[in-house]
Amino acid sequence: MRFTIFQESRKGAREVNQDRIAYTYSRETLLLVVADGMGGHLGGEIAAQIAVRLFIERFQQEAKPILRNPLKFMQETLLRAHAALGSYASQFSMLETPRTTCVAVVVQGNHAYWAHVGDSRFYLLRQGKLIGATKDHSKVQYLVDQGIIAPQDVATHPDRNKIFSCLGGAAEPVIDLSKRTPLQNGDILILCTDGLWSAYPLGEMSTMLTSTPILTTAPQIMREAEQRAGPEGDNLSAIIVRWGPETLADQPSTTTDMMELGQFETQLEHTVTLADRAGIQRDLTDDEIERAIAEIQSTIQKYRK
Amino acid sequence: MAVTNQALSSGYPLLNYRIDRQISRGGFSIVYRAFDETGSPVAIKEYLPSSLVLRTEGDIVRASSAENLTSFRYGMKCFFEEGRALAKINHPNVVRVLNFFRANETVYMVMRYERGRTLQQQIQMRQDQMSERFVRHVFMQLLNGLREVHTHKILHLDIKPANIYLRTDGSPVLLDFGAARQTLTTNRPKLAPMYTPGFAAPEQYRDHDRLGPWTDVYGTGASMFACLAAFAPQAADARLSEDHLVSAKKIWSGQYSDNLLEVIDWCLRLDPLERPQSVFALQRAIRDIAPNKRKLTFLGNLKRLLFSEIGA
Repeated sequence: MRFTIFQESRKGAREVNQDRIAYTYSRETLLLVVADGMGGHLGGEIAAQIAVRLFIERFQQEAKPILRNPLKFMQETLLRAHAALGSYASQFSMLETPRTTCVAVVVQGNHAYWAHVGDSRFYLLRQGKLIGATKDHSKVQYLVDQGIIAPQDVATHPDRNKIFSCLGGAAEPVIDLSKRTPLQNGDILILCTDGLWSAYPLGEMSTMLTSTPILTTAPQIMREAEQRAGPEGDNLSAIIVRWGPETLADQPSTTTDMMELGQFETQLEHTVTLADRAGIQRDLTDDEIERAIAEIQSTIQKYRK
Repeated sequence: MAVTNQALSSGYPLLNYRIDRQISRGGFSIVYRAFDETGSPVAIKEYLPSSLVLRTEGDIVRASSAENLTSFRYGMKCFFEEGRALAKINHPNVVRVLNFFRANETVYMVMRYERGRTLQQQIQMRQDQMSERFVRHVFMQLLNGLREVHTHKILHLDIKPANIYLRTDGSPVLLDFGAARQTLTTNRPKLAPMYTPGFAAPEQYRDHDRLGPWTDVYGTGASMFACLAAFAPQAADARLSEDHLVSAKKIWSGQYSDNLLEVIDWCLRLDPLERPQSVFALQRAIRDIAPNKRKLTFLGNLKRLLFSEIGA
């Protein structure tokens, strides 16, 4: 596999960032995950993080070296994350279960598969045209479907934050799964939270990303979106991938051909635990210690000359 | 009764290394010299917080109470932070991590072994004023390393002469990232602060949201100050209530170039915004300094004499 990848999460005007993003890949399979946590006090952050981490962990267990059934993998992981949030809340006697949206994409065998819950989005662009996208589980999307409001009114509608499906909610999450979609070199995959899509129209994003190298343009889009959102701006996050070699600039793309079977590369930003925030000292489990060591060792290898 | 942890004994086989001797001991760790399987020396840092764990004999580390086990594991996270921070950096002026592993119920970080002494020892040993040439030479290289650290979005947060190692060829290596945090982009809560009075910037005492490259710039300025003075500048928290720090420009005028002294004073500004905002800005300022060719003037000598009389 060869691709160029960008990921960034910005706080916007909020005090804390409740978005979590991560990607991981083996030689044959790439997984991208974005989650937007909800709820006050720490809950949102924890929820988004649990969802993202569960995806990464399960991927590393199951992608040996490929996922047998990517859509089933994503569906199961989302359901497990939903269950994990419930048990986390009872373990820490939280009054409210932490909740989060989640959108995940698997690319394997030159095909993309995606799944989502809530209003974090996935867009698949080919030569500037939208050829695949998620549909928000939100009240405003329902209003659009019913023809009550126009699609362009979504970003500014007063109820735009109301979603009817999420992980950790009282009801079982509604999970949408995509079809198996073939990719072509140059296709652009965008996963983002509502902080980005509500501040930066898709058309503009598409023009920018199609005509310029993503590692140059994507950071500009993020900065610009944060500015446009202004003093009320939400957290905003994105993972943007250009599939195939980067042809627009002499910028590094990632190639997985040299990776060993069973090897994984992972980027997971932001970690927060209840212990960090509330001053509760939570034990590192043996598992976590092993993971931390493995992560450091893989970084040492990666940066060895 | 004070109980101290026993260090691993000479000849102890640890993974595929063999312990030679203890090099240093801090509140959180012991550093050993060891040899790898090819017989090359390495430095191995063992996580062993003295207040929490006991190892009066043997090799296995045991927490001294159940409650301490929790804190022990929690502190281990900070040790991992250090490993994570260093693993990404491969630069001649930054200590290189070679391996990281778990054994004896604790964790170990293997680092490249360097020969030489710390800048702190150099300051304490010296007989004469440190030459401007030496100070500039050491800090220009050190700042190359620090720039690389900042490029990886990591702040060192404990820059001081004791953490700057001088190899026998005179090149400096930045050590001890125990306080390092990846804070340049993330907004995650900062863990409990660690700082060294005199070298820590004011924002490290109370204003953790304002940590940035300028925080390491303060530590660098304070370290340069210590090279000239042989003591640390007044602690920043004390300076905030009553600033007794005399500017480098006043103290050493005539002995070092005005520009070097101005740069030191610039780094030591209490307001983070008034300091050089990046290592690059600091390097540019230092590069602008003409080497000190000036002979000591009579007035300069007098000032120097007066200053040493004052008993600084």
